[in-house]
Amino acid sequence: MATVTIDGRKVEIGEDRTALEAAHAAGVEIPTLCYHPAIDPYGACRLCLVEATLRGRTRMVTSCCYPVREGLEIATDTERVKVARRGVMELLLARAPQSESLRELAAGMGVREPRFPTVTRADHDCILCGLCVSVCSEVMGVAAISFASRGVERVVATPFLKPADSCVGCGACAAVCPVGAIHLQGTDGQVEVSPFNTRLPMTRCEECNAPITGLPFRERLEKELRPELAGALRICDSCKRSRAAAVVKKSSHLNRLAAVSTPAKGE
Amino acid sequence: MSVEHLTCPEDLARLRLQSARQTAEDTVTIAVCMDTCCCAKGAEDVWSAFETAIGIAAERGLHIELKRTACHGLCERGPLVIIAPGDILYQNVKPENVTQIVEETVVGGRVLESLIYEDPETGKKTASPSEIPFYTKQMRLVLRHNGAIDPESIDDYVAVGGYDALAKVLTEMTPEQVIAEVETSGLRGRGGGGFPTARKWRSCRAAEGSPRYIICNGDEGDPGAFMDRSIMEANPHAVIEGMIIGAYAIGSPQGFVYVRNEYPLAVRRVRKAIEDAHEHGLLGDNILGTGFDLDITINRGAGAFVCGESTALMASLEGHPGEPRAKYVHTVEVGLHGKPTCLNNVETWANVPAIISRGGKWFASIGTEGSKGTKVFSLAGKIRNTGLVEVPMGMTLREIVCGIGGGIPDGKRLKAVQTGGPSGGCIPEHLLDTPVDFDQLYDLGSMMGSGGLIVMDEDTCMVNVARYFLTFLREESCGKCTACREGTAQMCDILNRICAGEGREGDVELLLDLCQILEDAALCALGTSAANPVRSTTRYFRDEYDQHIRDHYCPAHDCRGLFSYEIVVEECRGCGACLKECPVEAISGEKRKPHALDQSLCVRCGACFDACSFSAIARVKPRVGSIASAAVQVEGS
Repeated sequence: MATVTIDGRKVEIGEDRTALEAAHAAGVEIPTLCYHPAIDPYGACRLCLVEATLRGRTRMVTSCCYPVREGLEIATDTERVKVARRGVMELLLARAPQSESLRELAAGMGVREPRFPTVTRADHDCILCGLCVSVCSEVMGVAAISFASRGVERVVATPFLKPADSCVGCGACAAVCPVGAIHLQGTDGQVEVSPFNTRLPMTRCEECNAPITGLPFRERLEKELRPELAGALRICDSCKRSRAAAVVKKSSHLNRLAAVSTPAKGE
Repeated sequence: MSVEHLTCPEDLARLRLQSARQTAEDTVTIAVCMDTCCCAKGAEDVWSAFETAIGIAAERGLHIELKRTACHGLCERGPLVIIAPGDILYQNVKPENVTQIVEETVVGGRVLESLIYEDPETGKKTASPSEIPFYTKQMRLVLRHNGAIDPESIDDYVAVGGYDALAKVLTEMTPEQVIAEVETSGLRGRGGGGFPTARKWRSCRAAEGSPRYIICNGDEGDPGAFMDRSIMEANPHAVIEGMIIGAYAIGSPQGFVYVRNEYPLAVRRVRKAIEDAHEHGLLGDNILGTGFDLDITINRGAGAFVCGESTALMASLEGHPGEPRAKYVHTVEVGLHGKPTCLNNVETWANVPAIISRGGKWFASIGTEGSKGTKVFSLAGKIRNTGLVEVPMGMTLREIVCGIGGGIPDGKRLKAVQTGGPSGGCIPEHLLDTPVDFDQLYDLGSMMGSGGLIVMDEDTCMVNVARYFLTFLREESCGKCTACREGTAQMCDILNRICAGEGREGDVELLLDLCQILEDAALCALGTSAANPVRSTTRYFRDEYDQHIRDHYCPAHDCRGLFSYEIVVEECRGCGACLKECPVEAISGEKRKPHALDQSLCVRCGACFDACSFSAIARVKPRVGSIASAAVQVEGS
């Protein structure tokens, strides 16, 4: 364990953790775009900058990938940090001025309009945070998308910009995207992963016929899960909840328990 | 000669005696520089011509040895040929000169006046490099064997004492003693950062993890820099020997040389050096019978500037895209494949054998308080002697540029010197008495960098220089982090506007704000130092920015459209050359009478200026608004 000070608040935290996790433990908010707890930190968006002081030396670091050490002091609210974060936010906003979620985050940091014009082109507001690329390769083990080209030409793309053969249609990329640049759309019994032009057969809920996910993804999970659990893959989330609710309703024991443990409104 | 596998240090000593005896004979040697610069200027044809001429001479019983060497430094005047004995340096040699060289100089013993060095100031002719100021003012340690040894011959290297330092290290020194010796020398990394080499080695040796790796960074990518290429092409064995010594000190069984693929000759020579060292038992298992094992492989980079950054280089070596990662845990602890890794620059490695042979104290006696030894620089830009030089640390920039470099050609005024590549800065003329030293250059807002030195004269616009480097950095940014990808693009946009005469009040302040964002928020050194070209030019040449923005005037007459042309009536002979060249018929006048230029028609293309042989066209500050009206008229016509 290491003792770390975040804006004057001391926290004890494991030595394998990051400054951002220490800040979370101390209840200090730090804005992030390319961070996700399920994914290895990548340090690309530069929003989570903080001032780190260790052994008398202070420097600007990205908290998402800065490892904690005993005696580390983190300042998240200094003028230098605020100026740098706002600057990064302005650059992002200049890139994708139409993005609602980005504007919202920017407003929270006091940035309304960037001082810079749009000089780099963002496809579908993509800010190249890399979460989709990481979740696809690291978590799903698929790597259907990756970064292509360099510098201002950089894009998230499928191999050779063709529909990706390896895509399973899980939708994890769309789920982690902080600016809503990726969508799963259901059309004609197929699921399309937009903007990558990848189309796959769609699975539908056996109860309500609602679209669920790409067929290859279900097939993969069916192989990995125990048979009794694999059945759950054939109904949608909404129907799963209805089924669960029906089970709960039947159990008077659980009803009584719920009444006792749920405080009434206003208390 | 058949390959000899050396199984003990005594074998090495025997090979040295044998090779030295072969080369010390009284034969005439013609050494042709065969590095990239001289080959680009036709050295290969010169070489073939010599082969033929020597073949013919041999029929007459004359024995002449033809030797392939590498960079003599005076690249401006290549192809270069040195004839020994006599130490005669011939420059700008063409195949048609070859027969004459053999007949006159080798057979007749006469020096060919037309091929020797002529001082541009005094016109004095000099045959021997030991009398040419370009050479006499240098101190050559890393480059000391350039021009004397064949870079593709391990025997040549052994003959001049090569691999002796390695034998000494393996038989007489512990790894700790090697590190201590390097520490005594005060050697600092030559790749740009100037980190103390011994400290890096010690941290790597102490780091937990196995195996440890060593890497030689030969991914030199600064515009105008060619020090590392020249070292690899001229003396690859010195780099390999330095690496083996380093590997022994650190405890590494595997090394990598990472060279950019745009350096095919360097790749070929380093590869051959590695192969030859293997065959001689100087690499591989049980080196010189001492039980120390090391393999070195060569890897080619695919031309990304960012791969010169250590973590990007390691990602590239691992087969990933060359993108840096945060170095919050140093690469000496977690580097290549997650193992402790020691990465040094080509020139750093090449310094190591001499430090071991002659001692750390000797090395530390050269240079300044904080910067020891020598530094190799490549001189480029507006300078007479474009080429490769090596000077002791502490020499002033002025001495390098005006003394060794021969000053500025065409009677122009020296304006600034750019050091450190795109990450460095421009140092103005009045500060050129600053000694070359890691810390002093940093204090001036520049840096040593790997040793590129670009000289600028009065015709160079400093805003345009900043624009050039930012354009380079924008192209070379990997695009991973927001600050660098978007920040360099924004800075380019502003600088492009200023150079096009569309600058606005507040642009310089905006540029400086962007500098701050990059310095504080960028992921790697490429991004954080991308501010330097703008920082240093606004610091020393702010007035030029202001004139571009407020007066739409480029005082260096470099940014087209930001100055206008006028006919100097007193000089104009009325020859009509400008009149003929003008694409918009803005010039009028009768033959043999001074012409007139109509500013309302002129589009400032400069055709008249280039056409005039009498200096009768002047470049002057424009009257505001005239370019706009001219442009409108051109469009309308």
